[in-house]
Amino acid sequence: MKPSGQLGASFRDPSGFLFVRDGTLYRQVNRVYAENYARLIESDLYEKLVKTRLLIPHTEVDVKPADPDLAFKILQPERVPFISYPYEWSFGQLKDAALATLSIQKRALKAGMSLKDSSAYNIQFYRGKPILVDTLSFEAYREGEPWVAYRQFCQHFLAPLALMASRDVRLGQLLRVYIDGIPLDLASKLLPNRTRWKLGLSSHIHLHARAQARYADVTVSEARRGRKMSKQALLGLIESLEATVLGLKWEPVGTEWAEYYDSTNYTEAAFDNKKELISEWLEGLQAKTVWDLGANTGVFSRQAAGRGAYTVAFDIDPAAVEQNYRRVKKDKEQNLLPLVLDLTNPSPFLGWANRERDSLAGRGPADVVLALALIHHLAISNNVPFDRLSDFLAELGKWLIVEFVPKADSQVQKLLKSREDIFIEYQREAFERILAKRYIIRKSCQIRTSERWLYLMERR
Amino acid sequence: MFHLAGVLLSILGDKQAYLDPGSGSFLLQLLIAGLLGTALVLRTQWSKIKKLFTRKNVKEETEDEDNDEA
Repeated sequence: MKPSGQLGASFRDPSGFLFVRDGTLYRQVNRVYAENYARLIESDLYEKLVKTRLLIPHTEVDVKPADPDLAFKILQPERVPFISYPYEWSFGQLKDAALATLSIQKRALKAGMSLKDSSAYNIQFYRGKPILVDTLSFEAYREGEPWVAYRQFCQHFLAPLALMASRDVRLGQLLRVYIDGIPLDLASKLLPNRTRWKLGLSSHIHLHARAQARYADVTVSEARRGRKMSKQALLGLIESLEATVLGLKWEPVGTEWAEYYDSTNYTEAAFDNKKELISEWLEGLQAKTVWDLGANTGVFSRQAAGRGAYTVAFDIDPAAVEQNYRRVKKDKEQNLLPLVLDLTNPSPFLGWANRERDSLAGRGPADVVLALALIHHLAISNNVPFDRLSDFLAELGKWLIVEFVPKADSQVQKLLKSREDIFIEYQREAFERILAKRYIIRKSCQIRTSERWLYLMERR
Repeated sequence: MFHLAGVLLSILGDKQAYLDPGSGSFLLQLLIAGLLGTALVLRTQWSKIKKLFTRKNVKEETEDEDNDEA
């Protein structure tokens, strides 16, 4: 039986597991991992990685283990405010997560250890940077051995990055289907032929896929015939992966939303007034967590983050999210997390028993949800009736700051250009009436010099 | 005796790999190992040669990499 409180994603590695008790997250280290844990701490690797913000810090605590028969120690790791997944990251986020993993492996090898896994799910964004959250990912390095996590690294990082950079950025979404990373034979088929002429991609993806097919039925010891891999060669492998990742580039231009603010019909006065209102309302709410849905490049998310709320800025457009992330990096913003999310099909529960990866709502609720210039896209482009919209938003957070964009608005007219207007209910009065079933409307205000309205609502 | 136990433990510890490395992925590394090792040596030598000619940058390049993100 599973020990009580054990997390749904924490079962593969017998070294230990995560559990939650009384709202606090703990990690049980099992006895089988005792030696490796001691080495991690005593070799100073832990200290160095924590100092460079590549590994989540923890404290050893004296609490009752969740599974006393196996327990060696209980750790209390610092808690990441929002768990995100690789299929929600922009290109730059996945690339930085890959580089962080390789950087950790290089430091581990220096300290006589090696990463025993390289899952993208072990990386989280914490204070604006990718960080390893699995303290039990290290093992003693054994001279002569190849990297046990090489396949996983290529599937979780290199294949999606190569596809995003060389074919289409949307292919990153394959990670949602293939939870253990993109199969290399599939990546090899989907990549353009020109990638075969690049040394890194041709060896780590194309040749790698062929080697997997060729040796599928062979046991490792049989085929290896006593061959060893020197430490020099292993370091060479890591450097080669690093150079390959660094060589993959994608620029966030030419998509629908990234240039939205330049082409919108807002007057400057309206935009400023909207900012003022949101700022004033947020100030009153003193929120700890804010989810900005349809955040674009994060203009309004930054108003929340600037007030100290941990803000997650979701947008469907990978280019907008990429721009947002670059800004986070440039300005070293610590409490803003941009993520790619299609609200018409938000991240579901995934993986084993549908409990490994949390759904969007499963990671909530937030204190405040922002839905600015969003409703018309959901109600008109995706035909979502107001009552369903209201149910969904109410599930995600206690407070809602929502903008109503009327039919007369040129943005709505654009959406109606190619289709029949079947949206009789799409009126401000109906919007207020239907949302009032789930929410108490605390404040409402027409945005100056525009037809748009802004509301502050509290869930009933 | 304790020594023997330690050796045994470390051998048992070797069996802890919970991840399937994949035969093909394992072998590919062994096959390209020589190449990768040589490439690394060449890169290191090359950067040493470059350092000889670009004295100004010596200080930057010899900084401990542990400090690069601190």
